[in-house]
Amino acid sequence: MTKLTVVELKLLTREPGAIFSLLIPLFILVVFGSSIEPGDTVLLPMALAIAVGLVGLYMLPTTMATYRERGILRRLSTTPVRPGNLLVVQLILQLVLALTACGLLLAVGGTVLGAHLPTRVLSGVLTFLLGTAAMFAVGLLIAALAPNGRAANGIGVLLYFPMAYLAGLMQPTDQMPDILARIGEYTPLGAFRQSMQDVWAGGAPSPLLLGVMAAYAVVISIAAARFFRWE
Amino acid sequence: MAVIEVTDLRKRYADLTVLDGVSFSVEEGEIFGILGPNGTGKTTTVECVEGLRRPDGGSIKVLGLDPVKDGRKLREQIGVQLQHTQLPENIKVWEALDLYASFYAKPRNWRELLEEWGLADKRNARFGKLSGGQKQRLFIALALVGNPRVAFLDELTAGLDPQARRTTWELIKRVRASGVTVVLVSHFMDEVEELCDRVAVFDRGTIVAIDTPAGLVDGIDAEHQMRFTLMAGDMVELGGLPGVTGVTRTGSRVVVTGRGDFATAVTAELARHHVLVSDLRIDKRTLDDAFVALTGRSFDATH
Repeated sequence: MTKLTVVELKLLTREPGAIFSLLIPLFILVVFGSSIEPGDTVLLPMALAIAVGLVGLYMLPTTMATYRERGILRRLSTTPVRPGNLLVVQLILQLVLALTACGLLLAVGGTVLGAHLPTRVLSGVLTFLLGTAAMFAVGLLIAALAPNGRAANGIGVLLYFPMAYLAGLMQPTDQMPDILARIGEYTPLGAFRQSMQDVWAGGAPSPLLLGVMAAYAVVISIAAARFFRWE
Repeated sequence: MAVIEVTDLRKRYADLTVLDGVSFSVEEGEIFGILGPNGTGKTTTVECVEGLRRPDGGSIKVLGLDPVKDGRKLREQIGVQLQHTQLPENIKVWEALDLYASFYAKPRNWRELLEEWGLADKRNARFGKLSGGQKQRLFIALALVGNPRVAFLDELTAGLDPQARRTTWELIKRVRASGVTVVLVSHFMDEVEELCDRVAVFDRGTIVAIDTPAGLVDGIDAEHQMRFTLMAGDMVELGGLPGVTGVTRTGSRVVVTGRGDFATAVTAELARHHVLVSDLRIDKRTLDDAFVALTGRSFDATH
């Protein structure tokens, strides 16, 4: 398991997509961050949602579907190691990638740009975990349904834009049609951004939205597990 | 001692019967060929033996183990090269070997395998940058890194150029020489003829013959021809020799048709009468002929 993790980590660092997942949200943060007021509570939650969305919808499904397409999971099942180990290692590493992306955003946002950092750390961590779980579940479902890596990549990118729009990542929710903003709040990414914003504003995230994310994580994961094929 | 024993193996997908009572055994230290056109159940059979698929009926013992029940224990002792599998583009050759070695309790030293399989100078190359032959050598090295007692190699020279195929064949002979039993799945006649000690010929989900490649060829009694040009001496009567079914002569060119080992009788007869011939050719009977005789259809037309 250790060696598998080390090798998979090396492979991840060689993946251009991983670097993009780190840099794109950071780029957006820096571009828009130059015009924020000190103590801003909106931009960082948005950037975090973009980062988690990219990893969950783009990196995770593409990697997993490619592994199946290339027969790597099948090849592994002829060794004493279970192919499930590879999936577990991948999930952990993608989580580490999401954490790294968010850590980078917090570091840059909190220092250079002077954005607000929340004091409710525990609520923030809980929101991050639930939101990431929900997005990873969507990613796993894509990986389960896509016939190959390219298709997974395409589906991920196609899904990203409507989800990001509904989540209020393309334009602020108060400029969106009311109905779309309301619906968007109950999408996985929207619930994540709204909850993060609540944390940033110093309040507690709405239990309803936390529940929504948890429900997405559980239901969609079950669907993904049902549809997943090893080959 | 039989290392693999398969009895009456059956497998269906929906209403398609893929394997219909397949039985064979593989002896320790041999290269056992599984030959047949695509879609005749070769790969399914091997995948059942490897424990990748669950058979619907029949029994399988590999090294005394049941591939389904004792899968983990069995996988410690077998090495597999699968058709159509790849590695991640960006993994380096040494990383792949090091990683796969870590899966086994008693692996081989992968650095030795790098040397043996001519990959030492590609040690730090990424998988995506390797040539077809290099990839294939890496796959075989990966199949051997667990120090297996049985290695399964599925279509190992598919897509290789003739030079690379020859090289790969030499390497497979070395694998056997090191004491590993090899199960070779192939749809190339020449490969099977060159490498295998025994062959099971698959057709439509059953085995139609098991023998040595030479035995399979001899077992079919197809007519074939020998030709030569008379140089000196008078032509002798060949028609009465055992096996000969026909003699035609056009000027000094002679064509003799026959069955079995008639060519030996003909050359002996010519020598006895001091008849000098040149340009002697004997059509070699091949596994292709054997396949046609066994299945009643041409091998190549089926794929």
